[in-house]
Amino acid sequence: MSTVELRDLRRTFGSVVALDNLDLDIRSGEFVSMLGPSGCGKTTALRIVAGFEWPDSGAVIVDGQDVLGQPANKRNMGMVFQSYSLFPNMTAQQNVEFGLRVRKQSHERRAKRASELLDLVGLASAMSRYPRQLSGGQQQRVALARSLAIEPKVLLLDEPLSALDAKVRVQLREEVRRIQLELGITTLYVTHDQEEALSISDRVAVMSAGRVEQLGTPAQIYSGPRTAFVANFVGTMNKLEGVVMSSEDRVVSCGPIKVIVPDPTFIHAVGENVELYIRPEDVAIELLPVGGSPAPGYFEGRVTSLTFLGPVTRVGLRTDIGALLADVSSAVALNLAADAPVAVQLNASSLRSLDASPESQSAPVS
Amino acid sequence: MAQVSASPAAPAALSSHRLRRVRSRVPVWHLLWLLVAAIFFLLPIYSVVQFSLEGTLPGQGVFHWYETVFDDPMFRSTFWLSIQISLETVAVSLLLMVPTVFWIHLRLPRLRPVMDLITILPFVVPPIVLIVGLAPMLRKFSWLIVRPEVLALIYVVFALPFLYRALDAGLRAIDLRTLVEAAESLGSSIPGTLLRVILPNLRAAIIGGSLLTVAISMGEFTVASLLGFFTFPVYTYEIATSTAYEGVALSFISFIFVWAAMLALYLLGSGGRGAAGVAITD
Repeated sequence: MSTVELRDLRRTFGSVVALDNLDLDIRSGEFVSMLGPSGCGKTTALRIVAGFEWPDSGAVIVDGQDVLGQPANKRNMGMVFQSYSLFPNMTAQQNVEFGLRVRKQSHERRAKRASELLDLVGLASAMSRYPRQLSGGQQQRVALARSLAIEPKVLLLDEPLSALDAKVRVQLREEVRRIQLELGITTLYVTHDQEEALSISDRVAVMSAGRVEQLGTPAQIYSGPRTAFVANFVGTMNKLEGVVMSSEDRVVSCGPIKVIVPDPTFIHAVGENVELYIRPEDVAIELLPVGGSPAPGYFEGRVTSLTFLGPVTRVGLRTDIGALLADVSSAVALNLAADAPVAVQLNASSLRSLDASPESQSAPVS
Repeated sequence: MAQVSASPAAPAALSSHRLRRVRSRVPVWHLLWLLVAAIFFLLPIYSVVQFSLEGTLPGQGVFHWYETVFDDPMFRSTFWLSIQISLETVAVSLLLMVPTVFWIHLRLPRLRPVMDLITILPFVVPPIVLIVGLAPMLRKFSWLIVRPEVLALIYVVFALPFLYRALDAGLRAIDLRTLVEAAESLGSSIPGTLLRVILPNLRAAIIGGSLLTVAISMGEFTVASLLGFFTFPVYTYEIATSTAYEGVALSFISFIFVWAAMLALYLLGSGGRGAAGVAITD
């Protein structure tokens, strides 16, 4: 098992900065996902680790050794690509054996290893099939087996599930995680799918504009976003605009509503404009009877939309502090209709004030 | 009993029904147009065959002119020389073009328009102009200009547009970069990747390009004649000017050879492993 350190990686394409002094440490046997929107530099970083791109400056350290001087074919890193990358002229078994043939291993050893790995990915019966005779999910399974055959130091996965349909994607991501845990291989995974990243990773590096915006466990990323970007990119957030009323007590006025920000590091001068964030599941609503008024701690709103999401329904609200989204049980939502008056309550302990550019951005994250 | 007698008639009825359906689907003018095209292409060939079977004296066989051609030692020597030159042309062209086009696609895609332009030049410059321009340079290599291999070097230029386009289309049809990177990540070097992964997937393109190269080399007359080599086309011309019937028989033999070569290469190309198969969806 290997450790990987990305140090101060910078890569520009003309005037576009793809990586802006990126730092990231991956522990031995850890599954780290780089999550971000298109153009955030995550694939560039992965390709630099693989040896397909070179940075303008910085280092890629694997097990304490800078590997930037080594060509891709000497780095011993398994890679699974976004597009189907099986060699069309070879069967599944021959594809898996390819890396071992390059390493001049005996026919028996190659066949044994290919058989083990195809069995591991659940395709033992498809050994003699050509890529065109395999489904997309099966092809990516073979690609995974092929990348593992060479016993790589690090497994690199570049959006390997993005070409698959939703059901296969969920099934295969669980398999990827199961195999990673079984083999204990250090894994770097690139995706723009937050659900995918949060569900299978030990840690997630949320990337933006060539930098790691926040690195943490899936729970930390979801529950404790440190920047507005992370809050908005991972999950859904309500944004409230307010003015600081009391610096000491962290009281913020959002229109007619006053809220207390629970974060003790919230230090802003009185009168300063701030942005507060709260997730839809932290917004509670109750149907108001006709002519009724909200109880203390609640404020009034009206339903503008209802979006059924399965177990929960996302309710769009128009309130005095602006438009809000609230997630309620779908059973409760059956009683709601467009323009229905509701009492709205914010879970004050979940309110966050987030900076667009935290100081932490420039510090190495690990 | 009635069932037994009815069953042999059923397929016939079905096939005639299908035929009617096909006829009803294909407009008449499509069939007419097909017929006109067939006449356009087949009539000259029919004329060639018919002419080559005429002009014999009493006691001579129908295939007299073909027998005369096959009995002529010059036929065998010129034919063999042209085949040798064709194979040399194919070998040199492939050695030169496959790595070049591969590298341009992989690392220098911006050069593709330049290559497109360069490879059009042999179309634009007539062979006579090319050889007039080449002759002074070739004379400096007196050891080379007397060898028939020089024709292979010149035919490489003639075949360039065809081979380049075949390879270009072949490389466009595969995800070259991903395949190369996948092979590299598994430890393969670039030459190893080209040999083990890319070439097998370019088989159809290579065969197609090679076929065109053979066709060009086998039929090239101007340069061979001007440089004084007695190749198969030059021999054909000489025979045709002295004995029309024998010349026409010779033409038909060369037709047959090119068709046979095309068929062989087609069969070789279509038998690729993994080329066929059922595409499966998740």
